[in-house]
Amino acid sequence: MPLVNFTTREITCKLVYYGPGRCGKTTNLLYIHGRVPEQRRGNMVSLATQSDRTLFFDFLPLELGVISGFTTRFQLYTVPGQVYYNATRRLVLQGADGVVFVVDSQARRYDDNLESFQDLQENLLDQGVDIRQIPLVLQYNKQDLPSDLILSPPDLDDAFNFRNVPSLPADALHGAGVFETLKALSSLVLQRLAVRPPAP
Amino acid sequence: MRAIEPWVEAPLGGFLKESAARLTLLMTSSGQVVAQHGFTRSLDVMAASALGAGIMASTFELAKVMGIRPLDAVVHQGTGVGIYLAAFDTPRGRWLGLVVFGDETSLGLVQYFFARLTEDLGRAAPAAEPPRQVLAEDFEDELNSSLRALFGR
Repeated sequence: MPLVNFTTREITCKLVYYGPGRCGKTTNLLYIHGRVPEQRRGNMVSLATQSDRTLFFDFLPLELGVISGFTTRFQLYTVPGQVYYNATRRLVLQGADGVVFVVDSQARRYDDNLESFQDLQENLLDQGVDIRQIPLVLQYNKQDLPSDLILSPPDLDDAFNFRNVPSLPADALHGAGVFETLKALSSLVLQRLAVRPPAP
Repeated sequence: MRAIEPWVEAPLGGFLKESAARLTLLMTSSGQVVAQHGFTRSLDVMAASALGAGIMASTFELAKVMGIRPLDAVVHQGTGVGIYLAAFDTPRGRWLGLVVFGDETSLGLVQYFFARLTEDLGRAAPAAEPPRQVLAEDFEDELNSSLRALFGR
């Protein structure tokens, strides 16, 4: 659950961008970093290799504003997508309040997407979290590529969206769908705090 | 000093006074800030917390891979400044502490008073409160306008 400070009326949520290597997770954060006013965001921290591939994680803190009287902050993380960094993916996923699974829409990356999605389920289960119980949004990235190279959102929904979670087409490089993805996930995450717990 | 829950303040205040640490950050093992002293910007605190949690998480995994007992603390010693990073259990789960200290104190003092801090926190922690509703049910309008303002739309 998001961390809630009732004294200072603050909420902090950890949101993780997950997906196969080179699907556009870091690009999502870079776009957000470039668009959000400096006073509302921290520096983007990237633990990357010399060739700019994510080694551990990217991290971007955002100050959203006041919602229902609570100053709300998001901590955006990406995981390293390359298959052999599974141990670090597990670590970054710890305590996540919500996940964006970024799908690379290119048809040739279908198997990589599937493998990464299974990896997400396993790593959540490893922490005792059922993927059906955590707020999840699918982002179908690279929809700007020529149509003969990519799968359409309905095709990708058939393949990945068996839970009928929010799914959004995107072109993270140019920003299309980035804002909508963050909006969809933050809404799901915060909805959990707007539910009245059952009386004891 | 800022703390998420008031009961953390007295033990942490005692630690700061005795250890003469420059910066101190208490966080959950997933990198959420619980309390801090010495940082001027909340967004910088979150970055430090994410990195501290990352270091400790990878240290645990490294110990596992190497077949040695988990390391509960790591020290980075620089010129005139050091960082002490340690994990400890509380009634509220596993927390981490990140302490930046200078020549005005020593690693030994920081370690000694940090151990005392973990004991004090264990004693001070109240029973967990039942979950309660935090946001109004119609929070989405405010969320959407906040996000629109954030992205300049």
